Amino acid sequence: MREIRAALWAVSAFGVAYLVAGALRLPTLVYDPVAHATRFTANPPLLSIRYYGDLLWACGAGVCAAALASRSRGSRPVSALTGAALSLVALDVAFYLSRLFARV
Amino acid sequence: MKVLFEGGARTLLILHAVVGFTAVFTVTHHAVSAFACAMRRPAQRQLKRFGWMAPASVVLQALFGLALYPTYRVRVRLADLERTAPGAVQLFDCKEHLSALALALVVAAALAGRALPSPAPAAEARSVAALSGCGATLVWAAAVIGLYVTARHPVGIP
Repeated sequence: MREIRAALWAVSAFGVAYLVAGALRLPTLVYDPVAHATRFTANPPLLSIRYYGDLLWACGAGVCAAALASRSRGSRPVSALTGAALSLVALDVAFYLSRLFARV
Repeated sequence: MKVLFEGGARTLLILHAVVGFTAVFTVTHHAVSAFACAMRRPAQRQLKRFGWMAPASVVLQALFGLALYPTYRVRVRLADLERTAPGAVQLFDCKEHLSALALALVVAAALAGRALPSPAPAAEARSVAALSGCGATLVWAAAVIGLYVTARHPVGIP
């Protein structure tokens, strides 16, 4: 059942990294669709797209967490890991919905 | 001013829509199979079958979406929606975050579902069902928001 634990750790890490990278405006890869330029910065120009970079951060964190979890001999109950992973996803969803309803 | 993939934006949008419907249906089937498995019904074969179809369609869908994004940003969002429908812009921002989370959930649920032994232990089967059900919910939400924003101003139309 290592695969299931690895998948749950990957979802947890993805949720944390995606939220932290976006909400704290961490330096990330941004693409400027007008200048056709890609750069690594925390303060992108107005039209730049930081979605690609945030997604890369989150995917990287998820893959690393899955690799570590599949090698470890952790014995946490699967139900606790599932609860933690889905709570982190719910936190992300609540954060982005709160931003949506605050602006609309 | 030329934007990346703008020339093929309409084709990409159609592909994005077609693969999007495929993603919605395969992810829903995976979730139904995962819930059936958690309820001790024989659904291992469906779980394995949709365990590659669902993540493949969601990843392909995400790649088409990422390719369309620069054109949306410049020709739809900046040129039109920010003035005429700022609510749609915020809704689309929310959709892109939901899609990212759905991608992680669907891929994780598929990999975990393929690893489930037969008969599946109850806790593990419930875990896969929870991951898959949440992933399917987010994919449905992203699809509905995407259709709404596209109905307002499709990419590839001035």
